Amino acid sequence: MPDGSVLAARQNQDGGWPYTRGSSCTEPTAYALLALAATGDTASSMVGRGYDWLARFQRADGGWAPSPRVDGSTWVTALILLLPDRGVAMKREAALQWLAGNNGRESSWIERARSALLSGQVRPTGGAGWPWFPDTTAWVTPSCIGLLALGKANRLRRSTRLEERCNNARQYLLSHVCRDGGWNHGSTKALGYDSDSYPETTGQALLALHGVDGDTLHISLDRALRHFDSCRSLEALSWLKLGLLAQDRQPPDRPAPRGHGSVPEVAINLLAEAAANGRNVFLE
Amino acid sequence: MAGTAAAVYLSGCSIGPPLREPSAVSVVRAPKYDQTLYATVRRMLADHKLNVRGKRVVLKPNLVEFDANTAINTHPLLVHAVYEAFLELGAAGVTIAEGPGHRRITLDLADEAGYFSTIPSFEKAFIDLNLDDVTRTGLHRPKSKLDSLYLPNTVLGCDLLVSLPKMKTHHWVGATLSMKNFFGTVPGGVYGWPKNVLHWAGIDECIADLFTAFPKSFAIVDGIVGMEGNGPIQGTPKQAGVLVAGPDLAAVDATCCRIMGIDPKGIGYLQLAAHRGIDERNIRQLGEHPVTVRTDFRLLPNFERLRLVAT
Repeated sequence: MPDGSVLAARQNQDGGWPYTRGSSCTEPTAYALLALAATGDTASSMVGRGYDWLARFQRADGGWAPSPRVDGSTWVTALILLLPDRGVAMKREAALQWLAGNNGRESSWIERARSALLSGQVRPTGGAGWPWFPDTTAWVTPSCIGLLALGKANRLRRSTRLEERCNNARQYLLSHVCRDGGWNHGSTKALGYDSDSYPETTGQALLALHGVDGDTLHISLDRALRHFDSCRSLEALSWLKLGLLAQDRQPPDRPAPRGHGSVPEVAINLLAEAAANGRNVFLE
Repeated sequence: MAGTAAAVYLSGCSIGPPLREPSAVSVVRAPKYDQTLYATVRRMLADHKLNVRGKRVVLKPNLVEFDANTAINTHPLLVHAVYEAFLELGAAGVTIAEGPGHRRITLDLADEAGYFSTIPSFEKAFIDLNLDDVTRTGLHRPKSKLDSLYLPNTVLGCDLLVSLPKMKTHHWVGATLSMKNFFGTVPGGVYGWPKNVLHWAGIDECIADLFTAFPKSFAIVDGIVGMEGNGPIQGTPKQAGVLVAGPDLAAVDATCCRIMGIDPKGIGYLQLAAHRGIDERNIRQLGEHPVTVRTDFRLLPNFERLRLVAT
């Protein structure tokens, strides 16, 4: 199993992790803890202090903000729901309700009616993903993380509501495939011009769509493999590995690109290595 | 007079250009990205008599996509030339900072764009604005639906914010230049990738709001090779062979539009900035006149109405 000790040196005194250096933020803290869980560490004092940091900053609505300096719950709440439950004082049910009740602004009936009035067409239901920031459009990355989090919750405690929300999220992802078969941030066309996919978001989508019929995704898998050959980012390559492995495809051997050492990059690389060794914590 | 205006901005005594001073905008021919850029940039800054001694300067280039072969990103040689020039002028510190709007992997983008190989110790000089500590900042008389934005402490705390955009057409707003470049100051760590809160609040309006949010600013536009057509990403390289600079970003952008063959009066955010600086009569052109270096950038069909009629 990969070694998580590289994350120990990056932990701040307050128990959280920064993106690179400086103040602790929610996302790198969550990824660090997820990576440590993947290496088998769920009980060390390092992990305990990380969970305590998260517990301190859970908001009254059940969600988490990107950092203590931001007043508002966002998509990072889904990341925390992916963490193993250590019985620490975190209101997981409240977080789950916050996440399940959130979706992209374009999915609201008001926006769909407005769009229909302006365009003269009723837009087909393209599912419902999650936004980065409340009251904005859904995008691929937060939708992938949201689907993974609700999928985990649904595995632990089956719920019709969660199942339906997961199906809506899968529908969102499947309706936002770029023409080349992969996924980008979530905009497949701009003013009639097709947009290209990105390796990192293609990997995330394939990971989140674990369990979807392989025939549906065969073009996407081909694209992912082409991205894999040419990818110049360690973080993006790690996401591709996670996605390919989630779809039961073995990533080819190739040299890794130079990393730049951010905490999320290190953590996602560890998560990919753990998945390659048979343990994908996103799907547990 | 332009130098006096610039010095006044940096002393913090002025929110915008003095009402009766014309805005000085330099247009300098620069045919290629080579070592002559260093002297060119030094002369340009000297023309504006910038006093940055002991000041903290932040350079904000435009980094968008992985493609070293197109004209999407601000060229690293220009960034380094500007970096060195401000250090030579006695700046206490020069930081390079950017917050890309589509891709999260900023350092990988910078690496691919040649920033690591061109700028010594780049990683030490660089701050990813998407992941910086932030402060909620009220917007002064906003044009958009926002009353505040979380903005990175690095740009809030600097003495001079230098916008280093590429000269490009833009499929939503017509042209992306020094003012639009400030979208990259809005942190994705709070608002996401893309910074969709700005789209919902009004793109032109938010560009105008960010323009007023950073009064202590300067622009140097990379128009050596810009982008035409379906900018800012899927367009094609366009050799314009110029650098355009000045302390009044609206005046700089209006000048760039004229060079690109675009009527600045048709650009929404320039109109919303309601800025006298976009009127040619209020611009003092240093160096070349836009007419002599005009090279029409190809426009998307829905922007053909912006074509500047030759006078």
